[in-house]
Amino acid sequence: MGGEGWLFLFAVLMAAVLLFTMVFFIIMFSDLECDYINPIDLCNKLNQFVLPEMIAHAFLTLCFLLSGQWLAFLLNAPLVGYNVNKIMAKNHMYDATEIFRTLSGHKKESFIKLGFYLVSFFYYLYRMILALISESD
Amino acid sequence: MSQEVMLPQGWEARWDAQSNAYVYVEQSTGRSQWEVPTQPSYGSSHPSTSPAPTPAAAPSQGQSHRPGRRQYPTAQIQQVYGGGGYDTQPQQSLAAPGYPDQNASQQPQYFTPGLGGADAHQPSHGQQPAASPYGGAAPAQSQQPGYGQQQSAYGSQQQQQQPVDQMSNQFQQMNMGYQGGAGAGAGMSGQKQLHQIQTVNLIGMQPDVTGLDTPPPPYLLPPNASVTASPHIQPDPSYQRCTLTSMPTTQSLLNKSKLPLALVMAPYRSFRESDGEDPVPVIEDSVIARCRRCRAYINPFVTFIEGGNRWKCCMCGLSNEVPQLFDWNQVENKPADRWARKELNHSVVEFIAPTEYMVRPPQPPVYAFVIDVSQQAVQSGMVAVAARTILESLDNIPNADSRTKVAIIAVSTSLHFFSLPAGATEASMLVVSDLSDVFLPKPVDLLVNLTESRPALESLLGRLSDMFQDSHVVGNALGSALQAAHQLIGKIGGKIIALTATLPTLGEGALKARDDPKLLGTSKESSLLNAASSFYKTFAIECSKQQVAVDMFLFSTSYTDVATLSCLPRYTAGQTYLYPGFNASRSEDAIKFATEFGKVLAMPIGLEAVIRVRATRGIRMSAFHGNFFIRSTDLLALPVVPTDQNYVIELQLEDDIKGSFVVLQTAILHTTCYGERRIRVITQAMPTTDSIPELYASADQVAIATYLTNKAVERSMSHSLDDARNTVTNKLGEMLGVYKNQVTSSSGASAQLAVPENLKLLPLLCCGLVKHVGLREGSSIPPDLRSYAQALLTTLPCQSLVPFIHPRFYSLHNMSPEAGNIGDAGIVLPQALNLTSERLERHGLFLIEDGQNIFIWVGHEAVPRLIQDVFDLPSYGELQGGKYTLPVLDNPFSQRVNNIVAKTRELRRGVYRPHVYVVKSDAEPALRSWALSLLIEDRMDHMSSYAQYLTTVKNKVNGS
Repeated sequence: MGGEGWLFLFAVLMAAVLLFTMVFFIIMFSDLECDYINPIDLCNKLNQFVLPEMIAHAFLTLCFLLSGQWLAFLLNAPLVGYNVNKIMAKNHMYDATEIFRTLSGHKKESFIKLGFYLVSFFYYLYRMILALISESD
Repeated sequence: MSQEVMLPQGWEARWDAQSNAYVYVEQSTGRSQWEVPTQPSYGSSHPSTSPAPTPAAAPSQGQSHRPGRRQYPTAQIQQVYGGGGYDTQPQQSLAAPGYPDQNASQQPQYFTPGLGGADAHQPSHGQQPAASPYGGAAPAQSQQPGYGQQQSAYGSQQQQQQPVDQMSNQFQQMNMGYQGGAGAGAGMSGQKQLHQIQTVNLIGMQPDVTGLDTPPPPYLLPPNASVTASPHIQPDPSYQRCTLTSMPTTQSLLNKSKLPLALVMAPYRSFRESDGEDPVPVIEDSVIARCRRCRAYINPFVTFIEGGNRWKCCMCGLSNEVPQLFDWNQVENKPADRWARKELNHSVVEFIAPTEYMVRPPQPPVYAFVIDVSQQAVQSGMVAVAARTILESLDNIPNADSRTKVAIIAVSTSLHFFSLPAGATEASMLVVSDLSDVFLPKPVDLLVNLTESRPALESLLGRLSDMFQDSHVVGNALGSALQAAHQLIGKIGGKIIALTATLPTLGEGALKARDDPKLLGTSKESSLLNAASSFYKTFAIECSKQQVAVDMFLFSTSYTDVATLSCLPRYTAGQTYLYPGFNASRSEDAIKFATEFGKVLAMPIGLEAVIRVRATRGIRMSAFHGNFFIRSTDLLALPVVPTDQNYVIELQLEDDIKGSFVVLQTAILHTTCYGERRIRVITQAMPTTDSIPELYASADQVAIATYLTNKAVERSMSHSLDDARNTVTNKLGEMLGVYKNQVTSSSGASAQLAVPENLKLLPLLCCGLVKHVGLREGSSIPPDLRSYAQALLTTLPCQSLVPFIHPRFYSLHNMSPEAGNIGDAGIVLPQALNLTSERLERHGLFLIEDGQNIFIWVGHEAVPRLIQDVFDLPSYGELQGGKYTLPVLDNPFSQRVNNIVAKTRELRRGVYRPHVYVVKSDAEPALRSWALSLLIEDRMDHMSSYAQYLTTVKNKVNGS
């Protein structure tokens, strides 16, 4: 298996992890709505995962950039830009005092990210298979 | 559906096996009859599911066979009605000529299609017999004494009169049934009360400013909505009011009408006996009837069913058992009158909660004072005034059971703790200079019992200012001091009162002076209104968890970042107080601060509180505004409830509403400062409507203005001030646009701006709001003042908020002769004028006040006599503008002016004591333009005048 194959195998795994993170976020948000968890605990829990998620995604994008996978890189660049923008504006962390006011926005964002990771998961899988086939040829 | 509820209370249906028919037994007398003892219209449906039809029970066996519990209603009725039982019901209708009216008007309701299914019929019917006798006893009824006499006479002659009564009873019921039947169709329109809609055209008219005090449109509840006819079944608007006094039945109707739906409440408002206000009635016997499913508290709008043994929740419709002791007077150990219970007669009541409502034993009130003793603070005199005020207030701090605890921490570049051992006469100081990892220097004696350590405390407060007199320390480690105070009182919870004269510059939560004048007036200005450091938010959450509230007293001579520091009070249910340019050597400043601080200390606070609003199924609380922490989707946590603080709660309709009225109930569970767990319950019922004109006719302009204020402030922080102002104006335009198209049904452009009569001052309030210091356009307003104004806008109760947005303006030199003198209701205030400088005369004396400041405007051609009379100065030229204390002189005019100022200061609930500023009409441009900026009907800088504002709104209306 060549470099491209390994890269996309790694990308598939990362996308799966990110996918699960988003599912976890969404479950936690609906828990909050149902009053199973209080906003302080929720924010403490989720805030642990915010930066790792962003870093993991940025790292993956960097890998694409370095290995010259332009299409994959361009696919991910907007999200990296969005994340960086959020960190610059210092509103990437969940704020327990505002969480109920912003909950619908957070949920929407998580769903969009979930969809994005899902699409990219299948794209990476497809690319991985392509790479493997082209190698075996 | 049990049919037994169709019977008047006190009657029971029994199955007689011999005759194969129901026999009706009156429980109190044992009298029986075959006819259904209720309106014939209902009698037609035979009781088929009557509980426990004991076949063998002969009619004459009466009450002796029934289990004891079921006798309570009967016993209680006997108690009240002299043994007459429910025979008094028909009797009353006969005896009181005024009553057939009431009955007749009630009757069609049973056939109102709008009432929905049998569910809706049943409650109103079941309660009717219960409600009417009480109605007779209501204080408003003038026949009451006569009724009482007749009744006792009746009680003794019962046997003879019975047949007659019974006959007339039936006759009357037949008659009523007939009316009802006939009125089934026609009765609908006649029965449902509607608000009168009057359209007013605003353009070219001077607004009538006296209309700001008019009460909101009445709640036109269907008759029989409440079980008692008490006049107190709706809360005073100062406790709770709704932007609409009738509830739309669907969310789409609400969306279409563009009207906001929100509750505006100040549930823990203070009361003043001097204003003729009553304290909240307290239910002492801790019998708390709550719905099993929705946990609503019993209130005047429930219905009693099954002979009064069960009650049906007015919110979810679940039938609940009436608690055994509900009709029992536990003090005198005898049956009590259910209809006299306070929770069935008052919309605002307080229950004394039993131990199930406590997480821990009631905590004592705890006060931790964090006092800034840096050089600036000491020099401004703040420390001295604060210490003296605390010393003088030691007797007023709530301490009814001698459990109150106090701690004092002085802070500059290091933390100064004071050890105040019980019984000692001197305090000893412990200094901690490690600011990064705050620790308490001593485990005990820092937080002390107020009564036990009083001598040490007094001596400390007496010399606190002197102790730091010579310190030249610059710097303030407020954040660390707050953390220390939190450690100190966190185990118990309570209140931290922080007094600071400088920006926190050291330790945790250090802030920078970020007030860049270049940002003012730009879209970036809103960043100055948001917190600069996340420390104050995270710390606020910590505090809220541990039931600690923070009050901030800020004394700035320069920038103190009110926006950031006010985060702490905002999320811990405290309050921010700002004294810009405080200097205690000016007696006005010292008196203002000492008075307000003293009132805050003496405030009967509630501790460890949660607020929850419950409502009829279908209504959801969607957003919350105010000083608290939202702990779950509908639970507001307030470590300390201050009096007179306002909260706004937005409502949404999730489902269509079926009933003829809805009930909204606010419950605030708190510990009083004398160690009692209590629940204050505020119940409000609103009729429903499905018409947009009716919604407009029932809109409450003051509540809508309060709602818009909160929305605008929120918007100014999340977006920009420009956005916030547009939100207000657009919302107003949308509302009036819908009104124009849907209600006045005029289409196309119109030269007039049509508003409903009850909203005619809303445009004026909106105009005042967009020109208010908190939201105003301009690049000259310091961010501190803006933030503070916004903090006030979101916390002031309606009574103070309205003048804060729309100040009062009086002309003093030509006021009517009774103004300023003592009239029937205290000191008479002059006629309020329109807020326009057209009213200012060059020779006149005027007063403008917004609840926070009083401006006395002196025209430059004022005659020397006037100046002499009021200020005791020879001429206008001698007069100095600025903060002023009016002398009390020995002439009637001076006394009247002083009376008006004094009355203005105590006019409203709350702790604020406005400054008096004397404004000369030709000097001190800053002060002059400040006073003029309160005249909101005028054009100022590039802000539009009221007339221009109306034109803008009109264009929006025509454009839509």
